[in-house]
Amino acid sequence: MAGKSRWVLGAALALSVTAGGALAQSAMAQAVKDRQAHFKQQGAAFKAVLDELKKDAPDKAAVAANAAKLKGIAAQLPTWFPKGSGPEAGVKTAAKPEVWTDQPNFLAAAQRLQGETAKLDELAGAGDIGAVKAQARAVGLACKNCHDRYRVPENS
Amino acid sequence: MSTASASGVRARLWDAPTRLVHWALVALVLFAWWSAETDRMAWHRWSGYAVVGLLVFRLIWGFAGSGSARFASFVRGPAATLAYVRTLPDRTKADMPGHNPLGAWAVLALLAVLIAQSVTGLYAVDVDAIEAGPLSDRVSFDTGRLFAKWHHWSFWALEALVALHLAAIAFYLVYKRANLVRAMVTGRQDFGRDPDLSFAPPWRAMLAAIFAAAIAWLVSTGFRL
Repeated sequence: MAGKSRWVLGAALALSVTAGGALAQSAMAQAVKDRQAHFKQQGAAFKAVLDELKKDAPDKAAVAANAAKLKGIAAQLPTWFPKGSGPEAGVKTAAKPEVWTDQPNFLAAAQRLQGETAKLDELAGAGDIGAVKAQARAVGLACKNCHDRYRVPENS
Repeated sequence: MSTASASGVRARLWDAPTRLVHWALVALVLFAWWSAETDRMAWHRWSGYAVVGLLVFRLIWGFAGSGSARFASFVRGPAATLAYVRTLPDRTKADMPGHNPLGAWAVLALLAVLIAQSVTGLYAVDVDAIEAGPLSDRVSFDTGRLFAKWHHWSFWALEALVALHLAAIAFYLVYKRANLVRAMVTGRQDFGRDPDLSFAPPWRAMLAAIFAAAIAWLVSTGFRL
């Protein structure tokens, strides 16, 4: 009797540990998916600004709205990278392990984007299209700065 | 115009526009590859627009150009292609002016992939969104990213076709003792008898070139006049 219940307990424990692990992993897989969705929203908002800037007479309200959106999204960026949502999450991700092993610099790079998008939002709010154009370049470089260091290049 | 020799005649085969387009495409594809690899995207876009112009010209020339450049003169059906394939093991040179039926399909495939390469590039959006093709404002960020992916895939197809093209040239040179590169440089080739090809007048090439350049320029502006 005692032997059997010990066996059942052991089995239950093993099961729960496995299930717990699987749950944690699926949570991390979800974190990767959420992150990708956030980055796509960010890309879409930035592209909306750039597309507007290409026009002869950019719609200032659209530029301002998307710049504000961009600033809001960038503020959230550091929260998209919970520990465990790297390559070990078990789903395809372009996030390099360096995001976590080199965290202070990664966060500094994210901060740079937050600073540049905040400036973009300010200039767009003021309706200064010329300044917005120059600042959009700075935002793009902040994107690139982080991608070059913490993102696996495509088609490699 | 031809010069007779003991084994036959050396006669004009490829006109200047066809050769110029061919070698310009070689140079521009290499340049576009290099500029993309080294992140010189402004140069990459400009080389793409030039390729668009060359492709437009080559397509016009395929219908209104000199005889050896016209699709109707060299594109053949499956039966003729198969018949030609059966003669491949023969070590004799094919005594036909210009593209053989099998090479004709390679020409069409190369043109199709170059068109795909150009069109996907026009709509492509880089991961940072800051680098993008001139027509990318017509599509969403996600779609633009998809075009960028296809742009990479079609480049793989292009690399494969170029490798096949070079292998075929080596095969003809070594196995069949036919120097196809020289003909594409000088425009002349040795024939058993004068093939008596027709050549388009220069003014027609000029008109086609102006039209092609205009299209390339329009594309580069994203059709925003």
